[in-house]
Amino acid sequence: MVEIQTEIINKLGLHARAAAKLSHLANSFNAEVSIVYNEVRVNAKSLLGILTLAASVGNSITVITEGSDEQEAAATVKNLIDRKFDEEK
Amino acid sequence: MVKALLVTHGNLGDELIKIAEKIFESEIDIASINVDWRNMGDEVSNKVKEYLHSNKDSDIIIFTDMFGGSPSNICFQFVSKHIEVITGVNLPAIIKFHTYRNKGLKFKELIELIYNDAVNGINIISDYLGEKKNG
Repeated sequence: MVEIQTEIINKLGLHARAAAKLSHLANSFNAEVSIVYNEVRVNAKSLLGILTLAASVGNSITVITEGSDEQEAAATVKNLIDRKFDEEK
Repeated sequence: MVKALLVTHGNLGDELIKIAEKIFESEIDIASINVDWRNMGDEVSNKVKEYLHSNKDSDIIIFTDMFGGSPSNICFQFVSKHIEVITGVNLPAIIKFHTYRNKGLKFKELIELIYNDAVNGINIISDYLGEKKNG
């Protein structure tokens, strides 16, 4: 299992388009991918699951991956979040 | 593949599809029939029939915007083993449908999933925040 903490730094937080990108990316891995925020854990392969976190800019979240490609999954998901979901220059 | 048809007042259905396409950044294969105040009744019913006929080999979910409204009432007659109507369509319903339509679920299972997420998508935010604060 891999556990990485990171901060939401894009202005709009985990909104619909960001959540769509995240879930799409998470679905490309065999590993289970979860996001934890405020003690709530959701399946990151579910767009609607991610939205229920209502995580905003400045919030600290934890990415948890578990499975054969867990290292790559965690790093890639963190990278997307750190890139502000490619929605800001 | 399960197919979907939106039957709504005005162009609500078209707009929901457009917004979902923005979210997914891809085209979404859902048909839409707009019901305006001039074409309620047989004209809509015939359009729905045409759609159902041209997709008769598929399971079909008809999403309508409001239980008891004309689009819903017109569509109720078409419910069968392979055709279901879900009222009160919202973005979570569209998103769930688009995400799970090709996952090999049984028709009824897909309908349940969509229904649950559509209902869960309606929240009173102060209650929701209270729950979060109270863990």
